[in-house]
Amino acid sequence: MALTLKELEIFKGSALLLSLDVTVEKGEILTVMGPSGSGKSTLLQAIAGHLDTPFSFSGSILIDGVDLVSKPPHLRGVGVMFQDALLFEHMTVEQNIMFAMPSGKHQTTTKKREATANLLEAVELDGMQHRAVSTLSGGQQSRISLLRTLAAEPQVVLLDEPFSKLDTVLREHIRKWTFAQLRERNIPALLVTHDEADAVSAGGQIVELLSC
Amino acid sequence: MSNLNSQSKPQSKSQSKPLYKNRNRSLAQSPFNRITVGAKWLLLCLLVIPVVAGVVGVFLPAMGYFPAIGANQFDFSVFAALFDVAGIRTMMWLSLFTGVVATVIAALFAFVLLSVFYRSRMLSRLQKVLSPFLVLPHAGAAIALVFLLSPSGFFARLFTIDSSAIASANEGVFLFDSYGISIVLALVVKEIPFIILMAISVMSQPLIQEKVNGYFKAGTGLGYSPIAIFFKLVLPIVFPQIRLPLLAVLVFAVSNVEIPLILGPNDPSTLAVAILHWFNHIDLSMRLQASSAAVVQVGIAAFAVFAMLAVEKGVTFCGKKWLQRGKRQAPDKAISVTAYLLLLAYVVLVVSAVYTLVAFSFATHWTFPHIIPADVTMIHWNTVLGAMLTPLSNTLLLGVSVSFSALLLVLLTLESEPFNGGKTRASLLLSTALFLPLLVPGVAFLYGLVWFQQLFLKDAVWFHVYVAHMVYVIPYVYLSLAVAYRKFDNRYEMVALSLGKSPMKVFFLVKIPLLIGPILVAFALGLAISFSQYLPTLLTTGGAISTVTTEAVALAAGSSARLSAAYVVIQAVMPLCGFGLAWWLSNVLFKPSTHTISTNQSNTGRSVRSV
Repeated sequence: MALTLKELEIFKGSALLLSLDVTVEKGEILTVMGPSGSGKSTLLQAIAGHLDTPFSFSGSILIDGVDLVSKPPHLRGVGVMFQDALLFEHMTVEQNIMFAMPSGKHQTTTKKREATANLLEAVELDGMQHRAVSTLSGGQQSRISLLRTLAAEPQVVLLDEPFSKLDTVLREHIRKWTFAQLRERNIPALLVTHDEADAVSAGGQIVELLSC
Repeated sequence: MSNLNSQSKPQSKSQSKPLYKNRNRSLAQSPFNRITVGAKWLLLCLLVIPVVAGVVGVFLPAMGYFPAIGANQFDFSVFAALFDVAGIRTMMWLSLFTGVVATVIAALFAFVLLSVFYRSRMLSRLQKVLSPFLVLPHAGAAIALVFLLSPSGFFARLFTIDSSAIASANEGVFLFDSYGISIVLALVVKEIPFIILMAISVMSQPLIQEKVNGYFKAGTGLGYSPIAIFFKLVLPIVFPQIRLPLLAVLVFAVSNVEIPLILGPNDPSTLAVAILHWFNHIDLSMRLQASSAAVVQVGIAAFAVFAMLAVEKGVTFCGKKWLQRGKRQAPDKAISVTAYLLLLAYVVLVVSAVYTLVAFSFATHWTFPHIIPADVTMIHWNTVLGAMLTPLSNTLLLGVSVSFSALLLVLLTLESEPFNGGKTRASLLLSTALFLPLLVPGVAFLYGLVWFQQLFLKDAVWFHVYVAHMVYVIPYVYLSLAVAYRKFDNRYEMVALSLGKSPMKVFFLVKIPLLIGPILVAFALGLAISFSQYLPTLLTTGGAISTVTTEAVALAAGSSARLSAAYVVIQAVMPLCGFGLAWWLSNVLFKPSTHTISTNQSNTGRSVRSV
């Protein structure tokens, strides 16, 4: 799996906001940096399929050579993570993760539960299944949020300043952990951030957007 | 819709640099979107068609076209005849005067209350004191005021020491006064809560809230008092958002039937009440007069609206000068005192109304000027509950079906809007259409609607009353839910879609559960609005389907104060039950229960609930 943005140009109204031509290899984490208003989040929305007026784009977004552009967001296989964990508060930890699992993948609920338990255990969060998400700490929420994204088995993951709301110590920890999880699964990822340290830790290509 | 279909076809790759303008909107491509767009158009039709048909149906007879009695040429003779009717000018004046004065006073008082309490924790208490009046149907509020203010009413009892005073009290009868003061009072009491709650809902929108907080800090820094800040900085940004609801209040006040019917003068009455009598007159030719009067009623409402807009312009003009003068205080003391007095008045009204109505419904003998009834009995309640079965089940059946379908349509309509709420032509049309039933006097278009209904589906009474209720319920359900929808964090939806769930699944499994609180409140509001409909129920069914509200109004004209009191109590309790149920359910539904892991849990796939 590799994500290719081919001659991608994003417009605000009729004005060119940014243009990009880049390939993110599997397991690579590409960092996009730039001042606010430079269109970082808009770029992610274009890839995920959430772009809305007044924005528009031209060019192609390819995963392994297959163009995503004609697909609706829920069929793109593009996972998105924001600054907030955005766990669904009407579900438990387990239900959040089971909600994300592809419906055809596990035949029975029992198997889904086992898979969830394994996911949690691998990151030392075992026993958390039945907690209400509102009772979790910020760091726990971030980790569950990533697990949820990964449980959907995305082909690409987009990270929209996912660490910016965590305090410094936790931030370092969660960052390392997140990147390790992504690399382990060989998922190409695109990270948008203000923080140089994020870019260094990601270790992939760095794209600087200019303010317009 | 055809352009939506074409969007889902894959673009050919040979095309050089195709521009994908908005074509990747998630919802624009799914079949679910077709359902939501369909719901939006259905909702639009439900709002627009009855009102337009109704206005046409009332305009034709007014112009002399009424085939049923052989009138089929267009001229202005009907209007000429109308203006020869004795007291017609007084009726028109009475409608205009009571409506405009009541709305201006209600708006002023509402702003006074808000200016004193908008920054304090009292605001939620204020909401609590006012909301019983909001959900109590107009008819119920009017009847309650009769119980308090009539010459032998509760207040007279409180202030009378000597029972012979009743004679003198009767001379200065305050109710049914020919100036319409009692109508104004009832309208003010009913409209203040509505205006305040509209303003609060506007001020709690994230963008406006941010602005208000910022302005407050800036204003305080410049040495302005909180009350001055409200009138000089906050009101100017809030007012444009509540202008339309305020105009809806005005149109209602100018043209409503139930309050002047219960509290107003009889000869001459307000124009709306006269229209009601003329339309229901045995002599069919009176229909022409009634129709022309209904057209005049629309004119009065329009005039009132323009007068209000002119007043607003004037106040804005003077307000700007006031701003430039830079005085750091409004008349703060006077405003606070007024606000607390108003609050006190409301508390007194609520407490004494509840006491009087409940006491009356249980009273055997309650002679003037005693404050406590001589003895209590269940006999009135037995009578009422026996007689009430049909009206009550009609009310519930109608309310639940109307409110539920309105809720469904509104939810789907809101779902059809783009994420960022971009101003499409359809959404602009929608926001206008929502206020159409509220800005065209009901007494005008409902008769026309009934005429059409008699013409086409004569026997589908339930369908007609359903449509008439929908026209009034949809706008309130929409306005109440739209606020919550705008506050909803769209990123939840984006995340859920990116997890591979279809828009329909996201709607049912994520959005509805997360919004369940506001959804249930909107449902309860829809119930309350449906419960309170008097004219739409009465007219579209021709009295064939009685509800609690139509029965209550009918009884108010009758002789039994005790039965009447019992009906008002039920009128007040029903919407409160709805809101109570909504509040309780929103705390229970979709809350993740805290489970403990039982030993056999992984085998059975079930978990044990711990409390």
